[in-house]
Amino acid sequence: MKRIYISMFVLSGLLLSGCSNDFLDVEPTEAIPADPNLVNSDEGAKGFVTAIYNQFLGWEMSSFGWNAVSSIISDDADKGSDPGDAGGDKDIVDALTYNASTPSFQSTWNANYAGINRCNQALAMFPKLDQATPSLKARLVGETKFMRAFMYFTLVKGYGGVPIIDHLATVPISEEDRKMQLTRKSVAEVYAFIEQDLNDAIEALPLKSEYTGADVVRASKGAAYALLAKVNLYQKNWQKVIDNCDKVTGYSLVSDYSLQYKKEGEFGPESIFEINGVGSTSSPGFGIGNYTVSQAPRGAGGWGWGFNTPTEGLANAYEAGDVRKDATIIFRGSVLYDGREVPSTVANPRYNYKAYSSSFYNQEFTDTNLRYLRYAEVILMKAEALNELGETAAAIPLVNQIRHRAGLGDTPFTSQTDIRKAIYKERRLEFAFEHDRWFDIVRTGQAEAAMAADGKTFIVGKHELWPIPTSFLREANGLSEQNPGGY
Amino acid sequence: MKNFIFSFLALLLLPTFMLGQTQAIKGKVVDSNGMGIPGAIIASADARATADADFDGNFTINAKPGDILKVSMLGFDSVSVPATAATMTITLKEAGDTALKEVVVIGYGTRKKIDNTSAVSSIKSEEITKMKVMNASQAIQGKAAGVQVSTSDAPGSTPSVVIRGAGTALGGRNPLYVVDGMPTDNINNINTNDITSYEVLKDASSLAIYGTRGANGVIMITTKAGKGKITVDVESFAGVRSPLKTVKMANADEYVRYSNAAYSNDFPQGRFSANQPYNTDWLDAITRTGSYTQNNISVSGSSENVKYFFSLGNYEEKGILNGSDYGRTTFRNNNEFKLSEKVKLSQNFSVSNIKNTPMPLSAFTNAYRQSPLVPVRYADGKYGVPFISNGVVSETGTSFNNVGNPVAQLDYTNEQQQSVTLQGGLKLDWDILKSLKFTSQFNGEFYTYKQYNYVDNLALWLSADPTRVAEKYPSDLNKNTLTRNRDQYFNWNLSNYLTYNKVFAEIHDVEVTAGIEANVQGTREKLTIDRKNVNANSNYWSLKDVNVAGTVTGLKDEALNERRLASYFARFQYKLMDKYLVTGTVRRDGSSQFAEDKRWGTFPSVGLGWILSKESFLSNVEPINLLKIRGSWGRLGNQNVPLNTQLLTSGLDYSGLGSGTTINSQVDPNLSWEIVEELSGGFDFEVLNSRLKGSFDVYDKNTTNTILNVKPYSTSGITLATPAHVGEVSNKGYEIALRWDDKINDNLSYWVGGNFSHNKNELTSLKNVQLNPIIGGSLGNGQNTKILDNTSVGQPLGSFYMYEYAGVDPTNGQMLYYKADGSKVAQSGLDELKDKKYVGSLLPTSNYGVTLGLNYKNIDFSVDGYGTGGAKVYNGKKAQRFGGENVEASMANGFWTPTNTTSSIPAPSNLTPYASTYYLESADFFRINNITLGYKLPIRENNFISYCRLYVNAINPFITQKFSGFSPDVVSDGKLVEGTQGVELDAYPSLRSFVIGANLKF
Repeated sequence: MKRIYISMFVLSGLLLSGCSNDFLDVEPTEAIPADPNLVNSDEGAKGFVTAIYNQFLGWEMSSFGWNAVSSIISDDADKGSDPGDAGGDKDIVDALTYNASTPSFQSTWNANYAGINRCNQALAMFPKLDQATPSLKARLVGETKFMRAFMYFTLVKGYGGVPIIDHLATVPISEEDRKMQLTRKSVAEVYAFIEQDLNDAIEALPLKSEYTGADVVRASKGAAYALLAKVNLYQKNWQKVIDNCDKVTGYSLVSDYSLQYKKEGEFGPESIFEINGVGSTSSPGFGIGNYTVSQAPRGAGGWGWGFNTPTEGLANAYEAGDVRKDATIIFRGSVLYDGREVPSTVANPRYNYKAYSSSFYNQEFTDTNLRYLRYAEVILMKAEALNELGETAAAIPLVNQIRHRAGLGDTPFTSQTDIRKAIYKERRLEFAFEHDRWFDIVRTGQAEAAMAADGKTFIVGKHELWPIPTSFLREANGLSEQNPGGY
Repeated sequence: MKNFIFSFLALLLLPTFMLGQTQAIKGKVVDSNGMGIPGAIIASADARATADADFDGNFTINAKPGDILKVSMLGFDSVSVPATAATMTITLKEAGDTALKEVVVIGYGTRKKIDNTSAVSSIKSEEITKMKVMNASQAIQGKAAGVQVSTSDAPGSTPSVVIRGAGTALGGRNPLYVVDGMPTDNINNINTNDITSYEVLKDASSLAIYGTRGANGVIMITTKAGKGKITVDVESFAGVRSPLKTVKMANADEYVRYSNAAYSNDFPQGRFSANQPYNTDWLDAITRTGSYTQNNISVSGSSENVKYFFSLGNYEEKGILNGSDYGRTTFRNNNEFKLSEKVKLSQNFSVSNIKNTPMPLSAFTNAYRQSPLVPVRYADGKYGVPFISNGVVSETGTSFNNVGNPVAQLDYTNEQQQSVTLQGGLKLDWDILKSLKFTSQFNGEFYTYKQYNYVDNLALWLSADPTRVAEKYPSDLNKNTLTRNRDQYFNWNLSNYLTYNKVFAEIHDVEVTAGIEANVQGTREKLTIDRKNVNANSNYWSLKDVNVAGTVTGLKDEALNERRLASYFARFQYKLMDKYLVTGTVRRDGSSQFAEDKRWGTFPSVGLGWILSKESFLSNVEPINLLKIRGSWGRLGNQNVPLNTQLLTSGLDYSGLGSGTTINSQVDPNLSWEIVEELSGGFDFEVLNSRLKGSFDVYDKNTTNTILNVKPYSTSGITLATPAHVGEVSNKGYEIALRWDDKINDNLSYWVGGNFSHNKNELTSLKNVQLNPIIGGSLGNGQNTKILDNTSVGQPLGSFYMYEYAGVDPTNGQMLYYKADGSKVAQSGLDELKDKKYVGSLLPTSNYGVTLGLNYKNIDFSVDGYGTGGAKVYNGKKAQRFGGENVEASMANGFWTPTNTTSSIPAPSNLTPYASTYYLESADFFRINNITLGYKLPIRENNFISYCRLYVNAINPFITQKFSGFSPDVVSDGKLVEGTQGVELDAYPSLRSFVIGANLKF
């Protein structure tokens, strides 16, 4: 008996002293720890990049707030909806009376930095994944840097110079990392960072034609060149625009403009980079949350919230016979391409056709894609650069290429000034509701006049840049300053 | 061995030359009830012999008739009687100076109360069972200084217990319960009648031995053991319950008057006609008189080698909310086997089966808010809805508020919960040597739970609008939904320790305890299935061989992390000359919850005591029977803190590319338990023949590394807050307990007692970080009432944060509020960032209890009361307005009008009011918790029925409160900041109960 007790005691003593650390090693079961060994494979590595693409499906990244700050704000779109429904802040964004606490500027800031975090997480993880194929990892790095550049481009176009977060901060945060996160860099520094990322991406990415199957949604070498050309365009580096546009090869204009905005036209020969939505009736689905419904016809006979509606000014800007008008605007009382009727009882006269999804018209998650880079833009960027460099004659055929596809004749203009205006106008009509107009009118200096034509007051020296969110300035506590103009 | 003890004891006795012939003197030692006293020590100085009474109190000692036998037992007054040749019966009386004899349960052992250096509140079984409630913690409300108990009378609810203030904002705040050695979170499965003692360890000196689990205090519960001859104990009671306090709502006429004024802009002719067909009292419509019964039977006793205790109990309650039922059946068996002179094996086992049919408490809010114009049902049997047509409530028309019909809500609630808890343990005590004991204890707990919730969506849809017909029900909506839950876990605990106790040179009394413990809180496995369009008959939800995948809309199969603790502990207790006391404890805990290099922590404590009354300068001071001063310091941990594993976020799907993975949170690698350091001191005294007893304690408790959520900077792209050790929370307070017991004569004795405790809670400092504000106390209408952020330094935890009400604007009757600059504005002029202020906390700064009672012949009578001070309560149900709902009668009469501009009652309005001090009220209250009157039938002890006591009980018969709502004693979700604690919304009213019962012994 005694022996049993003694051995019991000794045994239990051993359990705790000898093996107590083993005893305390409990494998978690409720969540997956961030252990690189658990994702040390090709699939694991890809997952980190998929998460970045996924960020573009986010409500804050691509839907309601993004529509406000890139579209409703401009002369192409009104708030829409019912007068009493402000959609949070859409009324003051539309009227250019917003301030630094306006939520849509906050959510756009947060969403892009959340995406940048996903990029930095991926870049930090890849070196630890020694079981992943090196060539695949190199390509994934390229995709990651492309998307990081894309998001910084959005930030720099909107806010001007912003903090450049190029690595993960320590926890708790070091003083150096704190300064990195809270100090705005200059516009030039941000552009330099974007160009570096894009040049790295160009090195690593394959051509679009080399992607097969589902991989067609991924960023390609052509996308990186096209984005780099656009970055050059914003900095007025005209020769570089031309050089990089020339490197975007293997694409062509599709004959039917409207096809690009339908399910069957996605990722066609003209598509350089687009965000892919796949419709779903369950939640969460694989589409851009409420992107379609928030812009669908509202009121009696409608099925959506009716925000971000085309302005009368946009509707009137199209020349007669321009096929792009009916591909861009849903008119009250019309019948859509799939036979769905928009009765004359809906709340607003016009709606955004490019957000429409036939199969999932009233669902939260639809198959609507965002077309961010199309070959048409490469053509117009090159035309603009040529024209700015005085090669107007070389620019004109490019403009006409776009006009012909739209069902229009040759441009009647020949002077550099007129062609500049013609290019601006083609850009407006070609890329309407593709989240480009606001940045374009600011970039080209058209904003004051364009907004005045829309009945809004664009204050020069203020409205070129969005307000830096108050919440960030509070965090920065003096390390960063608000944009000029008295926000 | 026995010989050794005998000779040892004999040596201590005066050597006496024995003259006469010794013989075996036999006898029995009994208590005043005639029960044998096992373990009583019989010593004869004359015969130089000692003996122990056996389990029945019988003894045999070798002595001469006429020798003086000294009979003593812990807890009884010793007596000296001459030995007789005939079998003796020696009756011991329970000791009067209890503190000298009382034993308190401390971690891994017991200690004579007088020798204890720590602050422990002991509550005996009679005190716990006197108040007829289900959970023992509710019964101790007001009975232990420094222990704040908040209760809800909702059937089966768990009282919240806060010991010496709240030190954590995000971590777990519940004390650790140790039931017969098993650490557990909850004692709802314990039958109060099975408890023999309930002890609250309050200070660091007593708690440090529980290491990382000690910071919130520890409650030690010991269940009963058998003693003496076989006894059958039966107790039965039945009671009725009704709300202690109700709120008078506006009736139909008052509602019409109020609402017409509120709608006067849109409906200048008046929205509602004066003559309405209905006048519903909604609270009355959803409630009934509650009732509850409890029946217990226990069989206990002991023989020479076995002590046994069996008990079976059943508790059934019909809640006051229509349809809410609760039932609990418990079974317990505690046995103790004396395997040999040196080895004792104790075993305990309990089963509890709880069946609960809960009803949504939001029905109380809906009943408060729904208009009296709406009928429960229309004449055709359809449920009433807030529709109005031509100024009169009708089945058609426009809706005038968003409140559901609470009767329909209850009728269509179909939820059932059932849980079974098995707890059991084995404990081995082995006296290796006289002074060295080895204890090995294993305990296990198995819990299984199942629940279903069936929602008849079609019926709810129909009930929301009388004009609806079933054929028009949208085909893409579910006709019904069924949610089923399964939940189970197994926890176990193994502790092994040695206790060495020896007195050296008569003055050095040393006790050393050292041991090891392993604790596993097993994986909690949870299964949740959501289904749709199931058979309306619950019998056919789970058919054999039928694949129901098509009806499944959601499935969660979760396994929560297993948690393990490995511990070493030691305690040293030293008493010098019976006067000077030193206790030192240390515990080293390793927890699986923390990163490998942050796993182990050490928790020391030291306690000192000095029994002044044993000093020569006091020992002759007649009125002072006991005076002891105590002091202690210790360090405790709270390991109920957020997980510190960096996690992958997976399942981020991008169409076509499959599943995405990222990391969108960050973890501070330094995260570990919260550490509480406490310095405390106090004294105990007994004076005037121990008739007046009391104690005083003061403490300074500091949570040195409170965890709060730090907000990563926005540009980090990480929105999830990072818990980190950034705050300090201080709890400082004192506790006073006094009690006067006196016996006038053999027929009459009485007592009066009370306790008072005061605690000041404060978030004293924050590191230089940006906190992610914790916003709480949401009313669900966009208004929040609590916050914890960087501005909260200097405030108590659980602080309310809102606008300050500034009275009625005499020009238009609107409610006015103070802006930060002191000016008064209507709510549209307020700035959320500047004008809100801290206006007090939901935590009381003081609480107190009183008790008095008397025993006269066979009658016993006692009264217990409890009160709190310094807390605030937010009248959430009153503030939760969207427009068109009912108001209290006091709001609907005498309000501001253009002809009554001096009224303090605002003009009627349907605006959603901003959270303001208008709705914040004092939570101070004093309540008589319990009045008991009992009568013991004069039965002879040798009758078949040896004891019968009949009693009546009134629970919560009276309250004085400043709060205008149902109950200022609000538990709600028990979440200090982020939850709704302190806000009366969807709260169960406090109940008044009358109980009649009987207790019999056979």
